Amino acid sequence: MLKFGRMRLDPLGLLGVAILIGLWFVLLPFTPRAMLPSPVQVVRYLAESFFYAPNFRYFGLADHSFLSALTYTVSNVLIAVGFGSAVGILLGLFSARVSALRAGTDPIALTVGNVPILIASPFLLMWFGSGRLSTVLVVAFYVSVTLYVYSQRAAVNLSPVFEASARTFGASTPAVVRDVLLPGTLPEILGGIRIALAGSWGLEAVAELLGDQRGIGKAIRSIATAMDVEGLFAALLLLGLTAMIVDLAAARLVSGLSSWRTRDETETA
Amino acid sequence: MQTRGNSIAFDKVSRIYRRAGQPNFRAVDNVSLTIAAGEFVCIVGPSGCGKSTLMQICAGLVTPSDGTVLVGSTPVTGPGADRGVVFQQDSVFPWMSVIDNVEYGLKCRGVPARERREIAREYLARVGLGMVETSWPKELSGGMRKRVAIAGVFANGSGVLLLDEPFGALDYVTRHQLHDVLLGLWDDGTSSPRTILFVTHDVDEALTLGDRILVMGSGRVVDDIAVRAARPRTPDALLDRDMVEIRHTLLRHLGLEGPRARAPELVAAGR
Amino acid sequence: MTRNKRDTIIGIVTLACLVLAWQALSIRFRYEIAPGVPMVPGWQVVFTSTLKSLSLYWPGGLGVQSVAEGAEPTYGRALLAILYHSGATFARLACGMVLGMLLGTLLALVASWSKWGQRIVNGPMLFIRALPLLAMIPLFQLWFGLSFLGGVVFVAYGVGVIFFTAVLNAVTNVDRVYLDNARTFGASKGHIYRSVILPSILPEFGSAMMLALGTGWAAVMGAEFLGAQSGLGYIIVYSQSFGYLDRMFLIACLIVVYVTVIFMAFRKLFDHLTRWKY
Repeated sequence: MLKFGRMRLDPLGLLGVAILIGLWFVLLPFTPRAMLPSPVQVVRYLAESFFYAPNFRYFGLADHSFLSALTYTVSNVLIAVGFGSAVGILLGLFSARVSALRAGTDPIALTVGNVPILIASPFLLMWFGSGRLSTVLVVAFYVSVTLYVYSQRAAVNLSPVFEASARTFGASTPAVVRDVLLPGTLPEILGGIRIALAGSWGLEAVAELLGDQRGIGKAIRSIATAMDVEGLFAALLLLGLTAMIVDLAAARLVSGLSSWRTRDETETA
Repeated sequence: MQTRGNSIAFDKVSRIYRRAGQPNFRAVDNVSLTIAAGEFVCIVGPSGCGKSTLMQICAGLVTPSDGTVLVGSTPVTGPGADRGVVFQQDSVFPWMSVIDNVEYGLKCRGVPARERREIAREYLARVGLGMVETSWPKELSGGMRKRVAIAGVFANGSGVLLLDEPFGALDYVTRHQLHDVLLGLWDDGTSSPRTILFVTHDVDEALTLGDRILVMGSGRVVDDIAVRAARPRTPDALLDRDMVEIRHTLLRHLGLEGPRARAPELVAAGR
Repeated sequence: MTRNKRDTIIGIVTLACLVLAWQALSIRFRYEIAPGVPMVPGWQVVFTSTLKSLSLYWPGGLGVQSVAEGAEPTYGRALLAILYHSGATFARLACGMVLGMLLGTLLALVASWSKWGQRIVNGPMLFIRALPLLAMIPLFQLWFGLSFLGGVVFVAYGVGVIFFTAVLNAVTNVDRVYLDNARTFGASKGHIYRSVILPSILPEFGSAMMLALGTGWAAVMGAEFLGAQSGLGYIIVYSQSFGYLDRMFLIACLIVVYVTVIFMAFRKLFDHLTRWKY
């Protein structure tokens, strides 16, 4: 294992990436260029269009570079994850301790949780018009349902002995929530936020694609309509790398904040 | 800080569980009982006899269906800092460092940070954990975590300590070490030790620790035995004639001794 | 009254309240997007005129004329339209899921055969899993079109990635005790795969299935939103572009029912299959 600070890189994993890229080069002569661009071209396209992409103006996009589109997408995702997880965690923790609330919210969450949230997108577009609000709402909705499930499970799994113990020390209810319920469920909730975050990128992109004027998703739509396959690969590569970097950052944050947990638990989480 | 033990008085306490389609289950059945301040009382009984429920009623974690419990002159209405509890399960908060755990009760009562740290340090040293103050509980063994829990309830200065099979999951050696730690903290030479109610299923543990042993069966107190032997009671001291006598009585209550309690082949083998 | 019973009642009451709240909203907001198309369609509209209007989506055939050919909209035609488009969606979903499940599982079992294989695929998988699935619809559209093949391949890709990851992970996590036990009996590697690894990854397989169902539905909806000419998702976006919110609503309700029923069925099935678990 190669170590970079706390990050570990498996040389065999790198070999795997190299094999994948090699395969791409091997396939090149046998596939039409309109379907599979050369990796070199894709990287060059991404580099050239990152700060300024003249063709974006030609597509009629409000964004003038990958960077500005990415900024829009990333900020939407972060806003949605922020609001959505706040709502989801609150409802999830409450429902875990108030069984009457749970009896009401569970059937809704279990129904809505399984239906692809994507189908809410056309409705929001009609009710709130196309733009940032509709896009963020779809993602926030998805995040809140996910976090509801995760935080509820975390609170149910937390051994009741901790809350009982805190109360025998004379802790008030707010103190029990602050000192026991929140820290005790934090690792699982953070894990849930990571999962929700990972799912948010695709949803955000497709929501932008369906009805927004900005963002990577909107750029993908225009690029795809123009049959610009290099641009399409560049946009997807950019989005994938962003998702990966954000996830790695989130993973570090999670393991940092959950260091009190037993070692094998943090490894599987 | 000087803590005085408190008396406990159970007055006609019952706890009834209603179950669908079955007769009501009386976990604790009309128990009246007085425990003097500073007494070390052990409660033994088979599982399901109501000993843990009785303790949780005293802790305020379970509301009695009937009757009242007085601690000192205050009726129990819920959990409170005047009664410290050591649980059977690991109750040390894994997300707090060892010293923060010991300080927790003091923090809840608003003791200033510097003062509570001092108290916590003192008690950690007294349970033999002075060197692991800042460790996470996950870095400690099960026995060490029990020491942290004990330090916590003693540091909190409760007049009454309730221990619910605290050492049930520990190995033989660790359990004996913890008996010494507990007795050392309880009888630290001051004139008024705290009152301890200690639930256990282990007869030898009760004999080693208690001033008085209560036997419970089917929700009632069926026997109340005074143990006058001097402490510390080594394993050898348990072979003393009075002790053996009490031991026989306890085992008889638990159904382990009597006409048909022993398997015939063991009797034949002369064991 | 037991707690379970009480909870069931609360659940039913909550769902009923939602249904009624929708009706109340429809009375409160009477704004119409187009004449006869309310912004918030009440149930009395949804189950009558909206339902009937779905007959417009019947493409004809089976001796039943389509509305485009001059026939009147009827409930019968509406039912045929629903069946036709549900069928299209289910065909994409089912073919994609089966294909993805088989390929993902097979490839994972192959990759898990040696420790080296596992480590080699871990690198690229880290990136492939990070690629947002729904954002890749235009790529699959470009490669395969989205009529039928594109939809199936897209669903298969999304589902395949999940099964590949889950199966590989499950094989790595099989308790060593079982493997050692089998080895002390002299089992060969192939035999261990059949008698130890496959049964012990079955529970994981079940949870991957649940995850894949959710992803599969999202994928098929996304594919139909962005270019298919049939399917429930197609009706939703097509109606959206003409402002028929009531039709979108009816189809969305139908999807909610489908998804819920399918999930419950699969959960029951897997609970039954893995009832030996602790």
